[in-house]
Amino acid sequence: MKELSELNLPSNVKYHEEHEWVSQSAPFRLGISDFAQDALGALTFVELPEVGAKLVRGEEFGTLESTKSVSPLISPVNGTVKAVNEAIADNPDLVNSDPYGEGWIIEIEMAASELEAMLDVAAYKKLLEESAH
Amino acid sequence: MRTILYDVHCSLGGTMVDFGGYDMPLWYPSGAVKEHLAVLGGAGLFDTSHMAVLLVEGAGVRKFLNYAVTKEISDLKVGRAGYGLILDERGFAVDDTIVYPLGEERFGLVVNAGMSGKVIEHLKKVPGGSGFTYVDLADKIAKLDLQGPKSYEIMRGLVAGPEKVFEKLPYFTFKGDFDLAKSAVKLTDGTPILLSRTGYTGELGFEIFLPLDKARELWLKIVDAGARFGLIPCGLAARDSLRAGAVLPLSHQDIGHWHFVNTPWPWALPLSPEGKFTKDFHGRAELEKVKDSADHTLPFVGFDPRKVDEKEAKVMLADQPVGTILTVVADMAIGRIDGKVVGLASPDKPEGWTPKGLVCGFVKVSKNLAPGTPIALKDSRRQLKAEIVSDIRPGRTARRPLK
Repeated sequence: MKELSELNLPSNVKYHEEHEWVSQSAPFRLGISDFAQDALGALTFVELPEVGAKLVRGEEFGTLESTKSVSPLISPVNGTVKAVNEAIADNPDLVNSDPYGEGWIIEIEMAASELEAMLDVAAYKKLLEESAH
Repeated sequence: MRTILYDVHCSLGGTMVDFGGYDMPLWYPSGAVKEHLAVLGGAGLFDTSHMAVLLVEGAGVRKFLNYAVTKEISDLKVGRAGYGLILDERGFAVDDTIVYPLGEERFGLVVNAGMSGKVIEHLKKVPGGSGFTYVDLADKIAKLDLQGPKSYEIMRGLVAGPEKVFEKLPYFTFKGDFDLAKSAVKLTDGTPILLSRTGYTGELGFEIFLPLDKARELWLKIVDAGARFGLIPCGLAARDSLRAGAVLPLSHQDIGHWHFVNTPWPWALPLSPEGKFTKDFHGRAELEKVKDSADHTLPFVGFDPRKVDEKEAKVMLADQPVGTILTVVADMAIGRIDGKVVGLASPDKPEGWTPKGLVCGFVKVSKNLAPGTPIALKDSRRQLKAEIVSDIRPGRTARRPLK
């Protein structure tokens, strides 16, 4: 696994305790953090929601799978799925190789105020440091 | 506990997990999918030093082990290896093992991580087992598994006198001795090894037993020699997906504290073509009693790589629960074309085709289901279609002639 100092944690997104990120302004894209992709290992399958599906904060909206495990995607916000990244359905490896870029998961229709409950990069780093101890 | 290669795994950036009491690499930064594919397309290198080697010696040891192990070994020659089960008197699996006859009164047993003590304790209590010398070689021997179709080309360059060593070395044979000082097989630098044409991936390859203090050097040499064949170090996750696709059981998961009968591994039992036991062995009486009523362990393959949670999932047959899941993994080297399971090594795969992966593994169900029977795997999240099969990943290379 990567050391905390090796993780790529950009400061232009907001983070969630469940290791997802959402962009800070519209279009609101969601993906998983470098920590999450490293911990899950090489992905073999991404189960995406339907466009138009409702997202409820704290509820599962899809799954990420490695050869051995199934991990839920938990929504950090309330909103609606505006678009899904079909490229990762064909090539889940993009989530591992470029988690903040080509490996984005969904685009969300939501109020900007939904971001207020999320963490900035400093708070997310602190969370990772604390959970590492 | 740590194997002698622990520092190597850490320096390679391996994600370490506990397995059988050992800190072992689950995968390296290349990831479990690339590691799985490397073994199928070229070669992969596994540290398997967590596994245990036992020596059992004494007059009459062959006769005793032929009773204590399910495999017929009364005529197993020195140089041939046999896979069998060590059962208790109930017919439950204590562990599985590969038996290596080293001489008429000297046998090696390779068992699973952390199992040497338990197996020795068990064998001493099996009728007739108390009078032998049992030696646990865990602190003397390391093991590296070199697996994949290019293994032979890589290993050839590392062994002294390869023409002689690889002559007449088919699947499930070995050369050398676990008493490494006596071993006639040597690496080019003179290091004595036992070279076994076995493995846990279904692919052509070797298990290399060698002195602990030489393991690091051989690891580095294999990585170096294998680079041009696409060899990469591989962790436990790739080992698990490779063995499942090869229809090989994981001890304490696919075999364990239940009757070892009605399994996809009938060759581990001494069976006549009519299905009768051909020798006496520990646990036989119980297996005969329960054979018609015991559960059936069967391989399955699904239709995409999605999985269920094996801890809670049920196996459904026409909407009725009929059993549980023992192993569920995604083999990323297989897919379906017109419904048929095709693998990267299938001779009939279309040009440029890339498999999407299929879920596969083993179920334990209350009735015998013929290959082709549709089942569903159901957990609280989803219900997946799958079918019972007789085999999983096509085109395996384990038995391919060395050339």
